[in-house]
Amino acid sequence: MPDMLEPKDALVRMHEDMKRALAKAPRERRWVMVIDLRKCVGCHACTIACVAENKLPPGVVYRPVLEEEIGTYPHVTRRFLPRPCMQCENPPCTPVCPVHATYTNEEGVVVMDYDQCIGCRYCITACPYAARTFDFGETYTAGLPGGFPFLVGQAVADAFERTSPFEYGERRERVGEQSPIGNVRKCHFCLHRLAEGMLPACVTTCIGRATYFGDANDPDSLVSELIALPNVMLLKEELGTKPRVYYLV
Amino acid sequence: MTFKRLVYAVCIVVLLFGVWGVYNRLAHGHQDANYGSYVVWGLWVAMYLFFAGVAAGCFMLATLDLLFRVEIFKGTGRLALWVGLVSLGAGLFQIWLDLGHLDRIWKVYLQGNPQSVMAQMVWGYTLFGLLMIAALVLATRQPDSKALRVLMIVGLPLSLFVSGAVGALLGVQASRPFWHVGLFPVQFPVFSLASGVAAMMAVIGLFGSEEDPNRPKQLWVLAIATVVLAVVKLYFLWADYSQSLYGNVPHNVAAVREVLFGRWWWSFWIVQLLLGTIVPVVVLLTPKWRHNPAVVGWMGVLVLIGFAAARSNIVFPALTVPELEALTRAFSDRRLTFEYAPSLMEWAVTLGSTAAAVLAVLIGAKLLHLMPKKEMA
Repeated sequence: MPDMLEPKDALVRMHEDMKRALAKAPRERRWVMVIDLRKCVGCHACTIACVAENKLPPGVVYRPVLEEEIGTYPHVTRRFLPRPCMQCENPPCTPVCPVHATYTNEEGVVVMDYDQCIGCRYCITACPYAARTFDFGETYTAGLPGGFPFLVGQAVADAFERTSPFEYGERRERVGEQSPIGNVRKCHFCLHRLAEGMLPACVTTCIGRATYFGDANDPDSLVSELIALPNVMLLKEELGTKPRVYYLV
Repeated sequence: MTFKRLVYAVCIVVLLFGVWGVYNRLAHGHQDANYGSYVVWGLWVAMYLFFAGVAAGCFMLATLDLLFRVEIFKGTGRLALWVGLVSLGAGLFQIWLDLGHLDRIWKVYLQGNPQSVMAQMVWGYTLFGLLMIAALVLATRQPDSKALRVLMIVGLPLSLFVSGAVGALLGVQASRPFWHVGLFPVQFPVFSLASGVAAMMAVIGLFGSEEDPNRPKQLWVLAIATVVLAVVKLYFLWADYSQSLYGNVPHNVAAVREVLFGRWWWSFWIVQLLLGTIVPVVVLLTPKWRHNPAVVGWMGVLVLIGFAAARSNIVFPALTVPELEALTRAFSDRRLTFEYAPSLMEWAVTLGSTAAAVLAVLIGAKLLHLMPKKEMA
């Protein structure tokens, strides 16, 4: 078990790894995520942290946790598979975009240009992991009763829902038809947090320390050690997408 | 005359329904649409494939008159171009409404990605539409000009390219085995030709002039072509589905089973196969019916309805099969479901566009004198 070999808390070590990575030129980094499925307890905290961090509206989810019940009674168990964007090295979603609105940035993260996206959703059909969702412009509070004046009503909650997240370091209120409404959205490894030296929200929130993040080009990083383990696997590896998200099984 | 009036009346009522749908789409965005992030393309995409196919097929038929000078099709070239243009308009209108940002369509032209099949298709169809307009103008003003022949010569391979591109749009997607069929770009031009033939059969059969001595012969040739193309179409379908089932790739098998036995089984067995293929073939091969223009025209309508169902049966099933099985229960939201049925707003836009297209064909044919009436010298 990596944590037993590693005297430091994984989060502390990943922060140190990140400092070294951020000192390098962006193109020299190779951000990867490692998810230890044996440690995932299926709490969905990562999903919720991501929703809160990126203020995701209804129908938009970057990191659902897939649950499966396996075995036959009395030998029954559940397994969980968090599924962020795989940030493929060979992504099927980017070449299909008719307007270059999605591409791999110099750090190897597949990103969206919200001002460029026309909302055709071709990239969604191309992704074999269903890691992209469309922003239909909906809010959780729409259609709810406003309540009595002394209650916190729809207006307050609606205003909160429309305040800007800081995806890609940009300020974007969700108003009218303005982007990201009408755009395809996806996990971006919390690039806005990385830029500030913080780990992605799903990593810091994981109560089981099941999610690791770092620079695979740094041989001393924790993720470099983890992806060299024999029990590492990739999702739908046969498609040749070369995911940057690794699973320990 | 009474029948024509009835068609006008029905189309106007349906068009009003369509106006409500378009208003709803423009005022409320995609909120009243039933497609989501898993079944990401819905009725409008399927109907775009259908109408674009009719447009390409009509152009192919127009070459019989305007390029190859086939005697019995004399005078039908302009009509075929007009039907194709109107059909292309109906398809493009629906696919435009399907976009998340309608105002950004210009980016495909000025900032397009040449690697993207979708961008190639948009450029191709734009060029194709302009070419059809130019050909129609020339065919009206200078029917014997060399320029018209050049346009038709250029347009014929272009019509094959654009209809093939629609197949490639789906075929290049390795993540969807049901679509990832190497023969899709080959099949689609055949489907386009068949739907173009059906459209012309419907227009000439139901609205053609009884004074036109070529009309019975034209309908006879179109009927034979429909029967032959139906056999080819059935062969493609058999080859496609049997290989998918024998191949036993789970995602592919699931999609085929969804078409054959899923929620919309009747769309395949009853609409696509029975009404759209078998009934027209039987009727068009029956001597007492095949010489009745109205019956032949209605068979054209049935074939078109069958093709519309066929396009839906290509687009939806591939999307209703989860990429990862457990996704169905991973996150609960109405946009994150693998179930799909078009909403009232989606139906309104599609039916309204279809009604507008029928009206445009009829009014245009009258104003531009597109229906051949008597033997041309």
